Amino acid sequence: MNTEINRKVDARTFDNDEKQTMKRTLNENIETAWDRLEAQQPQCGFGQLGVCCNSCKMGPCRIDPFEGGPQRGVCGADAHLIVARNLLNDITAGAASHSDHGREVLETFYGTANGKSQGYEFLDTEKLKKVAQEIGIETEGRSNEEIAKKIGEQFLAEFGMVKNKLDFTDRAPEKTRKIWEQAGIMPRGVDREVVESMHRVHMGVGADYANMLLHSLRTALSDGWGGSMIATELSDILFGTPKITKSTVNLGTLKENMVNIVLHGHNPILSDVVVKAAKDQKLLDKAKEAGADGINLVGLCCTGNELMMRKGIPMAGNMLNQELALATGAVDAMIIDYQCIFPSLPQLANCFHSKIVSTSEKSKVPGAVHKEFHAESAYDTATEIVELAIDTYKERNPQQVEIPCEPMEMVSGFSVEAIKDALGGSYKPLIDAIVAGKIKGIVGSVGCSNPKVQHDYGHVNLAKELMKKDILLVETGCAAVASGKAGLLVPEAAKMAGDGLREVCESLNMPPILHMGSCVDCSRVLTLAGELANALDVGIDQLPAAGAAPEWYAQKALTIASYFVASGFFTVVGLPPNIHGSQKVTELLTDGLEGVVKAKFAVEPDPKLAARMLERHIMSKREELGI
Amino acid sequence: MKVVFADVGRCVGCRHCEMACAVEHSSAKDLYSMLKDEPMSQPRIKVGLGVDLLTFPNKCQHCDPAPCEEACPTNAIYRDSEFNSTQVEAEKCISCGMCAMVCPYDAITYQPTKEHGNNKAYKCDQCPERLTEGKNPACVEACVTGALVYAEINQIIKVRQTEIFKNITSQVIGKGTYKEAPENIKSYNKLQEKVAKLGPLPSSEKKEGFSV
Repeated sequence: MNTEINRKVDARTFDNDEKQTMKRTLNENIETAWDRLEAQQPQCGFGQLGVCCNSCKMGPCRIDPFEGGPQRGVCGADAHLIVARNLLNDITAGAASHSDHGREVLETFYGTANGKSQGYEFLDTEKLKKVAQEIGIETEGRSNEEIAKKIGEQFLAEFGMVKNKLDFTDRAPEKTRKIWEQAGIMPRGVDREVVESMHRVHMGVGADYANMLLHSLRTALSDGWGGSMIATELSDILFGTPKITKSTVNLGTLKENMVNIVLHGHNPILSDVVVKAAKDQKLLDKAKEAGADGINLVGLCCTGNELMMRKGIPMAGNMLNQELALATGAVDAMIIDYQCIFPSLPQLANCFHSKIVSTSEKSKVPGAVHKEFHAESAYDTATEIVELAIDTYKERNPQQVEIPCEPMEMVSGFSVEAIKDALGGSYKPLIDAIVAGKIKGIVGSVGCSNPKVQHDYGHVNLAKELMKKDILLVETGCAAVASGKAGLLVPEAAKMAGDGLREVCESLNMPPILHMGSCVDCSRVLTLAGELANALDVGIDQLPAAGAAPEWYAQKALTIASYFVASGFFTVVGLPPNIHGSQKVTELLTDGLEGVVKAKFAVEPDPKLAARMLERHIMSKREELGI
Repeated sequence: MKVVFADVGRCVGCRHCEMACAVEHSSAKDLYSMLKDEPMSQPRIKVGLGVDLLTFPNKCQHCDPAPCEEACPTNAIYRDSEFNSTQVEAEKCISCGMCAMVCPYDAITYQPTKEHGNNKAYKCDQCPERLTEGKNPACVEACVTGALVYAEINQIIKVRQTEIFKNITSQVIGKGTYKEAPENIKSYNKLQEKVAKLGPLPSSEKKEGFSV
């Protein structure tokens, strides 16, 4: 029995620090995603091949991937159309998620400009003015609030179709924008592309698979250079543009004798106020009265990334750590906003004293305590939640607490601005290092955790392989957290890098992997790529750069991969998207797109082989540039 | 001899066969009313995960002679001459487990029935009512990919042999396999094999691959 459990633990996770907790879940029958994955086997091949269409009531239909069975749905759609339709649907859901998050930041930003929020201010007024000037708003003689109001109005207009243009697309090099114009995929409005997608996937609208896929790229671009970029930039103005900062990561960030509050989800707008509230002396006193040494805030998933980037708040882990964090028995309250939150969390919390606190009207979870967040009353809500956590702490059974490890050090806060600062105010040192071949190129490694592959194996091994090949990594989301947990986000990790990259990192005292933030902060990767390409007067596709998503699971990750590709990054995804039911769609995405956006997708589950593909691509781009 | 023949290469693990089987053996043979049946109808075919994320639909093969029939102490299992299948007479079943123990396919489970409070041997009956009506068994009808075929075994083998002949001769002259799964399915299967190797699910390349 014990060997069977040990075998399972080893097969489930690559992160030694969480094995004890994983073992506990198995010993104590605490159900996790890995158990549910097992229970779900076998998973339907029609769905995995993308040839199942469940969109209308003439169906559901599925195409026989072999000969003999039905080759068209009732409506007449063939495998290619059904696969393309499903993919467009997924990419649109991802774009909508990021962009709706962006909208909420924008609403809070606009509310703050209008004096209608509580606990917010504009922390980075320099960026406020910079963004204003960038999008053509006069700043002279205007107060910060007036400028913010104008910015808010201008971006609000981008969600609909008043402008038919997204200002931040001007950050892309002209050559890249020209590619979009020629392909007819220049995004026109954040909401517009999403709504249009939903129209196109309806029966009897889009029937040409290639045309559907082109629109999925346009929708993805409206996220990357629209919704997500607005979320990143306005969050920076409200909460501060990240600067390089030290922090810690893994389940060991939870503390035995503290009130542990885990902030899980994606949006920083409530969690940032919780950080403020948790510093309130009255609440700190209350925690002491309850017998705790203090209040310990830790992040998880992308809310965690947002908080670590800007405030250095430690992180308990990435997406697949959400249940393991609860299984330590040390979490008093897990505050959730939205996205990537397992609906089953309250069931797991019930094994202990822990409480799940939902905060978004959009993301209610049965079994959670609901404390709805509104910008106008944010601070009061945050205070209430911290009080609830303190009360819950009193119910904690210390005997049930098992924190499996000591926290790992990591360095975070690499916004585009911080990277530029670290380089001495210009990209020249980085470009020189690339030209000299000390750094061969840059890979943006992003995306989720997926229980189908050993937890963190893909991220960590891809990162290690690329480092050895003198390729600089910029990481966001669960990828960055995986590298952080593995101890790769510290300057000392440069020892594992190739000689060239090691030299550059050591001279700047920088880690070989730069943590650039949450998944919406993949927009920072776009901004960085745009600035580097502009400095070299090339399109993004000409850069010795690429993208990767080794352990992706989410529709949002597909969207990111799509805007990476549409922006010119060759992108390798680790798990096969649900596309292989159509040879035509697969060929277009992994080959034909090269002729449209000068970049394409590849699928490679093995991180070592993926690293080789990425290196090959980077070397070919170097050759084309003559460096 | 007519059998339900499973073509592993074509099974995509959709479990349509399981659903169709449960519906066929429910009181009104209807999906929505089945949900109200007490006890709820259970499938007699089971699609399981093998290695490398490949799947297989497993059910009673109606062996002849049938080990279950020979082992049953109460003669509750008998051979039906009309369709050459093995059947369970629930009244005689004493839930002793002998048939399940000797079944080479592990295709016999025990389920409570409406008529009998206790558990009874429960297995594929090859859908005798459907066969009488000239239809295929429910699982076969539900299978979209043709992974399940109900036909004379020699007839099926004859068809498959023609493929084998082409394959072998094609391989002998160095032109590779004459005909396999479509290209996209082949590349998909290769990717799935890698995913299985990197994750917790059974893989042919892991020592422990055979136990989940």
